[in-house]
Amino acid sequence: MGAREDFTNDAMQYAPQLFATALRMTRNRSDAEDLVQETFLKGWRAFDSYQQGTNLRAWLFRIMTNTFINKYNSQQRRPQETELDEVEELFLFRRMGAFDQSKMSQSAEDQMLELFTDEEVKNAIESLPETFRIPVLLSDVEGFSYKEIAEMLEVPIGTVMSRLHRGRKAMQKMLYEYAKERGLVDESLLDPQD
Amino acid sequence: MADCQETLNELESYLDSELSEGRANEIITHLKGCTDCQGAYEFHADLRTAIKTKAKNEELPDGFLDRLRDCLGDDVLGAE
Repeated sequence: MGAREDFTNDAMQYAPQLFATALRMTRNRSDAEDLVQETFLKGWRAFDSYQQGTNLRAWLFRIMTNTFINKYNSQQRRPQETELDEVEELFLFRRMGAFDQSKMSQSAEDQMLELFTDEEVKNAIESLPETFRIPVLLSDVEGFSYKEIAEMLEVPIGTVMSRLHRGRKAMQKMLYEYAKERGLVDESLLDPQD
Repeated sequence: MADCQETLNELESYLDSELSEGRANEIITHLKGCTDCQGAYEFHADLRTAIKTKAKNEELPDGFLDRLRDCLGDDVLGAE
């Protein structure tokens, strides 16, 4: 029992971040809570196989990712790479000239925080097809390495890299569209040479 | 030494801290001497920070942690 009590105490600190990721995966608060509970139960039951001293956080995220993929009949392992349009390189960076400076703060860092609302960033992530959404979440939001993500998804590292690359570009395009809808963009400011 | 094209191609891996130390140093050297690439680097670094900060802001449902502890507690009782 001692080790399992340790599990409850140690694992609980990761519950909020697991919930946030579960919410982006399932796009539903009630399903997200179920997914985290199932992850904890599986972790608790499999705790004998967990090696003390290794990364508990990565272990929990791995369980959760696998549970999600299996439960929601995910397409991760049968990806349809064509389900995302090709977006040009450096999409958002090349369009920064179109943002209306008079509506933004001076500092570049603050500007970036103002350009997109929390909801827009969450929507942009959630609107990615699952094949791309999960690696983007695990890397950009949770900061896992390519190797850790490859292990969680059981795909080669090169596949993780290409899904991240395409997913991030698609997200930039969506963020740009949201900013346009909010009236932050004046496309006549863009240099046609670009 | 990395040129502009190589630097931009590898910017993502650099930001992900996934380049070898040697390669990362080559990218750093290029960024120090090239304001265009430095601008692209800063833009993407700020974008990463903004996305991470905004996507992490999530309120837990009321009683979430209690229910989580309870479900583990039930499992203990169920097993015995």
